[in-house]
Amino acid sequence: MAKVTDIVLWDKPGERVLLLGNHAIARGALEANIAVFAAYPGTPSSELTDTMAAVAEKAGVYMEYSTNEKVAFETALSAAWSGLRAMTAMKHVGLNVTADTFLSAVGMGVEGGFVIMVADDPSMWSSQNEQDTRVYAKFAQVPVLEPSSPHEAKEMTKYAFELSEKFKHMVILRTTTRISHARGDVVLGELPEEIKQAKRKFGDFKKDPSRFVDVPSNARRFHPIILEKIEKIREELAECPFNWIEGKEDAKVGIIAPGLAYSYVKEALAWLGVDDVKILKLGTPFPVPYKLLEKFFDGLERVLIVEELEPVVEEQVKVWAFDNGIRIPIHGKDYVPRVYEMTTRRAVTAIAKFLGLETPVDFESIDERYKKVSAIVPPRPPSLCPACPHRNTFYAIKKAAGPNAIFPSDIGCYTLGLLPPLKTVDTTVAMGASIGVAHGLDVALNGVPGEKETKEKKKIIVATIGDSTFFHTGLPALANAIYNRSNVVIVVMDNLVTAMTGDQPNPGTGDTPHGPGKRILIEDVAKAMGADFVEVVDPYDIKATYEVMKKAIETEGVSVVVARRVCALHRVGEMRRRGEKWPIYTVNEEKCTGCKICINAYGCPAIYWDAEKKKAQVNPLICWGCGGCAQVCPFGAFEVMKEGE
Amino acid sequence: MVKEYNIVITGVGGQGILTAANLLGWAALHAGYKVRVGEVHGMSQRFGSVIAYVRFGEDVYGAMVPEGKADVILAFEPVEALRYINYLKEGGLVIANSNPIPPVQVSMGLATYPSMEEIKKIIEEDFKGKLITLDAEKLALEAGNVITTNVVLIGALTQTPGFPLSEEHVKEVIRLSVPKKAVDVNMKAFELGVKAAKELLGL
Repeated sequence: MAKVTDIVLWDKPGERVLLLGNHAIARGALEANIAVFAAYPGTPSSELTDTMAAVAEKAGVYMEYSTNEKVAFETALSAAWSGLRAMTAMKHVGLNVTADTFLSAVGMGVEGGFVIMVADDPSMWSSQNEQDTRVYAKFAQVPVLEPSSPHEAKEMTKYAFELSEKFKHMVILRTTTRISHARGDVVLGELPEEIKQAKRKFGDFKKDPSRFVDVPSNARRFHPIILEKIEKIREELAECPFNWIEGKEDAKVGIIAPGLAYSYVKEALAWLGVDDVKILKLGTPFPVPYKLLEKFFDGLERVLIVEELEPVVEEQVKVWAFDNGIRIPIHGKDYVPRVYEMTTRRAVTAIAKFLGLETPVDFESIDERYKKVSAIVPPRPPSLCPACPHRNTFYAIKKAAGPNAIFPSDIGCYTLGLLPPLKTVDTTVAMGASIGVAHGLDVALNGVPGEKETKEKKKIIVATIGDSTFFHTGLPALANAIYNRSNVVIVVMDNLVTAMTGDQPNPGTGDTPHGPGKRILIEDVAKAMGADFVEVVDPYDIKATYEVMKKAIETEGVSVVVARRVCALHRVGEMRRRGEKWPIYTVNEEKCTGCKICINAYGCPAIYWDAEKKKAQVNPLICWGCGGCAQVCPFGAFEVMKEGE
Repeated sequence: MVKEYNIVITGVGGQGILTAANLLGWAALHAGYKVRVGEVHGMSQRFGSVIAYVRFGEDVYGAMVPEGKADVILAFEPVEALRYINYLKEGGLVIANSNPIPPVQVSMGLATYPSMEEIKKIIEEDFKGKLITLDAEKLALEAGNVITTNVVLIGALTQTPGFPLSEEHVKEVIRLSVPKKAVDVNMKAFELGVKAAKELLGL
């Protein structure tokens, strides 16, 4: 088992390796001779971006962690305009951030292949909503490719570049969590010479204002061109190597299975022991190639479409069937749930119902027996790490602002401040929204200076936002709050990495995959924008953090507090690699009175309650040595464990 | 060659679950199988409940093991075995690390942690499986580093009746995967897991 970054660069065509879907896509991009890659990390897309960062220098690829998806898109798009093969990657909600540029640029087309990798997260394992990128693709009239396995993800990436270049149209490669975060056997292909020799490729931008300036007169020309192109692409896709018909040729029933659903359908059919069906495996859920539908529907009496989330394929198929006078029953979302991710169980259940069979496993009986289990298993939601600096920040905020203050927060690990005992997160909507929401709440509840009427007794509003999120979309919201004379406290929880997605750098850390970038200090930005109070504090010093919060709350206007301390997980990882040790705390049982402040107010996962002794205890395997517990305990019961204990 | 073999690995984020799943996936790949490994990343990893799937065989497709189809559940934490017990097939085996990590909710008194007897009863009576528990952390410390807890459990897993990959094979993948200076500790951890499982399974 070699290192992933080595495998992705291996010059071993034909070698069978185990790769995560995201790693496989990175390899596919290299096999396609990519020149520029730009992205903002977002689960479940991040490993593609990180892999590109790790191999960029060795492959001669320009790679950047952009500040948000929109600017990443613009970076890659411009490279594609310049004739280079370029790619951007994001999670589904990232496409919303990009949407303005994305939808406007479609009509301009591209010169080099441009692939937009979008990772959807059905069932929302790590996301704020469940959206189906295929709907966006249809909206924008951009073809979408959807792999059914990690190997196919790699192959499709190469094909996506070719398709994009052929039609001078951007292409979406859409994955879901179970492709991006599934490992599968992948067969390596050839790497181009330029990648092997790490040769940086430069493009050539040919000026053409009639194409690259979307003033209304030009944009008016684009729309019909887009519609024409997509119909040509629809025809082309009948020959796409990722679309095919299989199974029994003269079967009376057919199943259409796009993307990953194909895998579940295959498994379900094997499990049910059914082989009397015809399958249309669709790698291109939009646009669905009509020619293939003609061939597939021939002789069929009933059809089932098994697709995850929205009925994107179903609607196209039904419209096509209606227009062509085909009146056989076509089932889809009436048998397959429209919410949450597809599973083999869901595929088996839908197909069994469609064919009038029993499911091979009595799922209902499992559910029945499982009811009892779910009642006695304690919940274990994710939590802020032990030694997370921002447990302390939240603790200090709550103490300074009081429980009646309102706490808008943002997207990142710190959203976990929502959980008891901290409970210092009242709203979380989207990247950067905490500052906008804080200002809106101030307007709605308090009123701002200059207005005829404002509230006497003002509600305290303290927003929290991470360092990367601050640069992502926090900046315009901060400008807005300052400009419109808000009275809010904005706490930037700066842990010096984009922690939740895997420790990527951002402008606040300054480093880039190609070496040092220019570091931007959050406090400098806040000062330059004209915030009324700006201070930096170390959250490992809880008392000092509390004092600064107090002052920030008392200051009229926009206060910005930068709570800066490196991410604990990141720090511990680096210390482990260097073979360093950190202090481990323990409870002096004589001093512990059992007051439970450390558990009920602070809530470090390394601290647990010994019900027999009625004392707090520290799990030494989880303690990362921040000493927050020692600062929080009124009785001084937490002490550093001595060597050898 | 088996047609399909399904392992569900559960535990608490940070216990080395994904590493274990990846190691088993590579071992299966080297043995010539088609492989799928399903993982959880991002926020859900942070000390929350984690599940990973390892599937291999002549024909495997999706990365998730369906309910009622796991040959083995390898649990890094006892209550996490119970949380995902609906995946176990009848007659399947649960190998569980015996060290509980009580969730903060339990310490706060918002939830209770079930007893080992209760856990055992549900696994064996309601789900017709077999449970063996071992103190993998203690064995890992005995081997020289608590970080090898996952390798102790993998060692134990290789002793499961009907486990399709050879012990040597799995060991070789681990040997090649860990840093050179950590090979001995890991091999010792593996052996301790093997020995414990043999005793528990009466082999």
